[in-house]
Amino acid sequence: MRKFLFGILFFVPLSMFAQKKISGKITDQNGSALSFANVQEKGASNTVSSDENGLYSITVQNDNAVLIFSSAEFVLQEVKVGNRSTINVQLLRSTNLDEVVVTAFGVKKDKRSLGYSAQEVKAEELAISKQSNILNAMQGKISGVQINSTGGAPGQGVSILIRGVKSLGPGGNQPLFVIDGVVMDNSTNLVGQQAGLRGMSNRAADINPDDIETVTVLKGGAATALYGQAGSDGVVLITTKSGKAGKIQVSVTSSYGIDQVNKFPEVQNKYTQGYTGVYDSISFWPSWGPTIAEAKALDPTHPDKLFNHYGRGYQNGNQTRTSVSLSGGTENAIFSSSLSYFKQEGTIPFTDYKNISARINGTFKMGNKLKFNPSLYYINSGGYRYNADRYNESLTYWSPRWDVKDYKTPEGTMKTYENNNPIYGAYTNRFKDDVNRLIGNMNWEYSPSKWLDINYRLGIDESNDMRTYTAPGPKGIVGERPYEDNGLGFVYEYRIRNRLINSNLSASLKKDWTSKIGTQLRLGTETRAEYYNRVTAEGDELDIPDLLTLNNTKIRTASEYVEKYRIVSFYGELTANYDNFLFFTATGRNDQTSTLAPGNNSYFYPSFSLAGVFSDKIKLPEWWSYGKLRASWAQIGKDYEPYNLNTYYSSYVLSSTGQVLWTRDNTKGDDGLKPERTTTLEIGAELQFLKNRIGLDVTWYKLNSKDQIIPVAISPTTGYTATVINAGEIENKGLEITLTGSPIQKKDFSWEVNLNYTANRNKVLSIKEGLTELVIADQFGYAGATVTMKYVPGQSAGILYGTSYFRYYNGLTDDGVTVQKNLPYIIASTGSNRGFPVRDAKQRMLGNVQPKWIGGIVNSFRYKNLGLSFQFDAQQGMYKYNQLSNFMAAFGIAKYTEDRNTPQTYAGVLSDGTPNTAIVYSGQGVMPDGRNYGAGYYRNVFRGISENFVEDASWIRLRNVTVSYTIPKTIIKSALFKETTVSFTGNNLWLITDYSGYDPESSSFSSGSTATGFAGFTYPAMRSFIFSLNLKF
Amino acid sequence: MKKASLYILLAVVLLTSCKKFLDVNDNPNSPTKPPINGLLGQVTYSSALNVYRVGSLSANYVQYFASPNPGSASDIYEEVDASSTWTNLYNTMTDIYDMEKLGASSGSSQHQGVAKILMALNLKMLHDVWGSAPYSQAFTSETLTPIYDDAQELYNKCLSLLDEGIALLQQPGSAFDLSTDLDLIHHGEVDAWIKTANALKARFLSLVSKTPNYNANSVLAAINAAYTSNSDDAAITAFDIRNPWAQVAVDNAALVLGGFLSTQYVDMMDGTIYGIFDPRLPLIGTLTQFGDYRGTPNGLGRVGTGINREESYISTSGFYSSTSSPLFIISYPEIKFLEAEAKFRLGNDMPGAYAAYLDGIRASMNKIGVSAANRDTYVNDPSVSVGASNLTLQLIFKEKYKALFLSPETWNDARRTNYNYTGFSLPANVALPTFIRRLNYPSVELTRNGPNVPSITGLDQKLWWDQ
Repeated sequence: MRKFLFGILFFVPLSMFAQKKISGKITDQNGSALSFANVQEKGASNTVSSDENGLYSITVQNDNAVLIFSSAEFVLQEVKVGNRSTINVQLLRSTNLDEVVVTAFGVKKDKRSLGYSAQEVKAEELAISKQSNILNAMQGKISGVQINSTGGAPGQGVSILIRGVKSLGPGGNQPLFVIDGVVMDNSTNLVGQQAGLRGMSNRAADINPDDIETVTVLKGGAATALYGQAGSDGVVLITTKSGKAGKIQVSVTSSYGIDQVNKFPEVQNKYTQGYTGVYDSISFWPSWGPTIAEAKALDPTHPDKLFNHYGRGYQNGNQTRTSVSLSGGTENAIFSSSLSYFKQEGTIPFTDYKNISARINGTFKMGNKLKFNPSLYYINSGGYRYNADRYNESLTYWSPRWDVKDYKTPEGTMKTYENNNPIYGAYTNRFKDDVNRLIGNMNWEYSPSKWLDINYRLGIDESNDMRTYTAPGPKGIVGERPYEDNGLGFVYEYRIRNRLINSNLSASLKKDWTSKIGTQLRLGTETRAEYYNRVTAEGDELDIPDLLTLNNTKIRTASEYVEKYRIVSFYGELTANYDNFLFFTATGRNDQTSTLAPGNNSYFYPSFSLAGVFSDKIKLPEWWSYGKLRASWAQIGKDYEPYNLNTYYSSYVLSSTGQVLWTRDNTKGDDGLKPERTTTLEIGAELQFLKNRIGLDVTWYKLNSKDQIIPVAISPTTGYTATVINAGEIENKGLEITLTGSPIQKKDFSWEVNLNYTANRNKVLSIKEGLTELVIADQFGYAGATVTMKYVPGQSAGILYGTSYFRYYNGLTDDGVTVQKNLPYIIASTGSNRGFPVRDAKQRMLGNVQPKWIGGIVNSFRYKNLGLSFQFDAQQGMYKYNQLSNFMAAFGIAKYTEDRNTPQTYAGVLSDGTPNTAIVYSGQGVMPDGRNYGAGYYRNVFRGISENFVEDASWIRLRNVTVSYTIPKTIIKSALFKETTVSFTGNNLWLITDYSGYDPESSSFSSGSTATGFAGFTYPAMRSFIFSLNLKF
Repeated sequence: MKKASLYILLAVVLLTSCKKFLDVNDNPNSPTKPPINGLLGQVTYSSALNVYRVGSLSANYVQYFASPNPGSASDIYEEVDASSTWTNLYNTMTDIYDMEKLGASSGSSQHQGVAKILMALNLKMLHDVWGSAPYSQAFTSETLTPIYDDAQELYNKCLSLLDEGIALLQQPGSAFDLSTDLDLIHHGEVDAWIKTANALKARFLSLVSKTPNYNANSVLAAINAAYTSNSDDAAITAFDIRNPWAQVAVDNAALVLGGFLSTQYVDMMDGTIYGIFDPRLPLIGTLTQFGDYRGTPNGLGRVGTGINREESYISTSGFYSSTSSPLFIISYPEIKFLEAEAKFRLGNDMPGAYAAYLDGIRASMNKIGVSAANRDTYVNDPSVSVGASNLTLQLIFKEKYKALFLSPETWNDARRTNYNYTGFSLPANVALPTFIRRLNYPSVELTRNGPNVPSITGLDQKLWWDQ
């Protein structure tokens, strides 16, 4: 005990019974010195690290000592000391063969023992693209995982979907995020006016990617079984960098980048402002006027060319990040720390995002039995977020006859011909979030004996988010044009507090029954408590026009919302292995939740997995180095959000007279809600060929989610607009393939390839009895072209429905649901739209929002000190509704509307099947044929047909190219710098897509939303060029 | 062993405290039972707002207003998506349904009676715009896809709701009185509610004037039990911030354009069509910079810039559109014009019809605050005081059109009379060959209750009472 205390106080090695000193040099297969490799005596506690020249020296205690040499990314090697005193070791860079991966609750396991798929991304792979959001850095690198930016706003949220849509709940199938063993909040908070359209950050964006050592993605039910329901959509395990004993290491990374919008829609440049071809320089209508030449004849001030209002509305953004990290320590007290500052200015003027983070973690060993890991992560993040949907809508209304960049008068009021200037809107109508977040983690490991480990972990993730939404009132200057959305000015304040506490106690018992059979039993209990509190104070109509404080508002209202959620779980895991080649694991977990009624609130679910390394037992051809098969079956239960068992009433106040009015809430509760259950069956193989140069990992899975708890949008005639029901089943089936290769591995030149491919098919098997479809979301389209995303039994989870062209069936049967694209259009022969295609007002299936397959390929080359890496990504076969395109048709902005004054005959047949021969004009008003076309074809017919705007959103992109160069020490001769690396990165450099709008990767709905089939007025994605410098001291 | 028992103890403590620890699902933010007068406040307030909403929906169809922009959807009869108005009507009817149930279970016949009257008011507006709509399966969520009840059945339901409401209000011994503070329409006066129910009944019965169901005597019987002066009107004066029409005027003054008077309306008021200036116009709309009143032609958009007072708008100090202007649900002048119409159609009391017609004009003038001299000048003008023998339905409906400015009832009148107003013409670049007769069902229904929604042939399809 005294020795123990002594150890705590002075952090000195406890064993000092020196017997024999061994020294030597550790190198890699190329002969380069390996610094900071670990050398440990097997079965003893003495460990040392190699120095920067790869030299080590260790004192062994036993006569028959065996040394274990290890280093991250290298294959561990055991060497018998014998009577040698010098041992030089060459470590081989590991392929993923003998990798140790982080599994549930941070437990490191040999990859060979896993009966399920787990894929890891390492620090250098994450750092390469210099993305500010960790999820962006992971894009295209992991099979089975679909990661999409919802747009290009600074700090904008990113969605992640593992193995398809499983659940219809509002959580949007976002996986559980765990950082250093602590459950971390990755929600996207949408509190505040139109926050859903402002590209709010998902909370994982707070994490500095430079701080991350590895990210492991646990995809299937067996992998996540111990996490229970929270992990039912997969688990993303983030391990931050930890220090190594030895000299203090300092690293500084600094980067600067420029961001541009990577894709704009194509606009017409022939017709100017006005309506029915009549020029009007103050018209609301941006592009239904005459040609530029005709307008110039009337208005000499008309510019020679139209301004591209979309192009002019965006600017070059920029981003900078500086990170400093410091780590080191002694054998018994190791620390790692970092500081980081990130700032980004957006491509929409007056939008930005900043993130300041500070992190420290440590490992303290107190004797051989007790280990303590504390860590603390502080983040301050947020910025000005503009409603990109509104911005693009306003840009659409803005006439290209005028320069939108000219947005402000000398007095500071809006400069405009008439319509709202979107840049002035972004300048004055401002929404800001300011998050202060602390993630704290304490982990105690106590190993009283060789067969018992006890682990307790307490994690707290607490954040405060102060949101402010303000706009000035009119200044009262004569002739002033106020910006519409600003009204008479306002100040809205939102104070949000969010706390997540996670407590996990587990005991692990190990026993090797024979030299070949070993078992491990883990028992534990986990408690999670979430607390959310929001206070909103809204003040309208400013007294002093530009004093932006609640104290200056005339009408003030306040409200609050409190939410508590708790869950208590008990779990157990039994692992058995036979001869280190056959592994069996069984788990069981019982959750008891606060959100379901007694009788339904406690539920148990098991999992089983089996892995066999057959290459250990079967003689394989020489070129086949490794083979493993695995299979698993797992079930997971899942509850729902709080307060959905009852129907509630809410109040509002008539602010001028003070009455409190009560109204029934729009959401109907149900006290009979049961937990939903997902069953996963997974089979996979891991194969290595040609001395592990080629690796193949194949997984097939099938997931069935039953008793889905589904929030449904329902007709307001029911007395509600939404309800939560317990019904239905969704099936996901998929194939994941990862192929890794090292075609060239020479001393000076290496080439590595990583390819991954995923195909997921999902199907709604059933929904609630009596319902034929579930509406997930809809988005407006002109003249009845509104597009609806639905779940319909027998179809994929997420089909877009909308209006279409009326088609001539000629005796064929119309199923009333699908659109027969091969059949001719019917052209009207009478009425005001004669000569034009006829619109079918019935909503029909127009496209599947789920991609057919996604994939990525990363190539990395290294020649001496020069590195080159590039990555292609693809998502193929999904459709999205392009609302921007609908508006561009309605307002005569789209390129194809240039045919408005050209006589033409629309292809199709009349209702009797005879070919259409009518010659018509698509433009407005009275045309040369004397006919008055009114608002014209594009407004009368075309814009009302959703089929025109539900587009194939497939894409292939050059996600990233990075060139890096480590400056040889012969050039920088300074004792100070250990290593200097410069790199140049280009992200999103090339995009191949048929989609006519902005980059189709973005989404109208926020990160985490299941409504993924909409991408119109989004914050456009960006192309970035980033220069970065890394110094190691 | 000691350690093991410690763990067992810990587990037991954990398990027992578990139940309490997990008992946090009572929503601290909202009640499951509302106060009945809190519902009364909500249903009186939102019913009045629904009158504004439906009035706003139809203001361009009856050409009270014109859009400041050419080719605006509501001017030229393009399909508009009235999802929010539809949803608001159903939200209000849902709260009315709850108040009715709560009134019944708590023995408050007064709340029950008011609920039935307001249900009739809202359901009838829904019926007038769309025809068939869900009612018998609505509000309870027992089915998530309620079927549509036949329009004529809905119409009959509206009438029977009024009768039931009147009977309940006449019943003594209500467990609770209507709150004077939260009854935003009649401030707890039961008799006033009975008069309003009868006024609505007269309005409802008159809707079917094109059909054999029209019975002038029934209309007159209802009128007898309805309003006798302007002070009987059903209106609200309590608002969240300001009267919703005032918001339109304030926004327009802040150049968020809206509330542009239509050329048709201005021409009917300023003497262009009838040769006599209507003294109500200055109390409603704004003067142009030219010192006169100018309308905006429907479908063509504004003539000027919209910012230099080159056309007339509803005024921020106007009778209908100042901050605390009453928002009318039904008013005395309307009753007088219904009386004039009924007597005219009966044909056996033309002097009575004529007197009601003139009373209606005077009541409207008095209500709006026209001076007695100006009022009499207008009323005595030969184009107005035509004499009992020269009275026509067109004259009655012309004066009713003027008196019911911005009321949704004017669109019913327009359809009942086939838009027979002098000078009334199709808007420019109109999308239909004839005047608009109905709206299409909103997207919120087409997408969420699609299979039940009746299909329509077009916005020129006449509803059952308009045939």
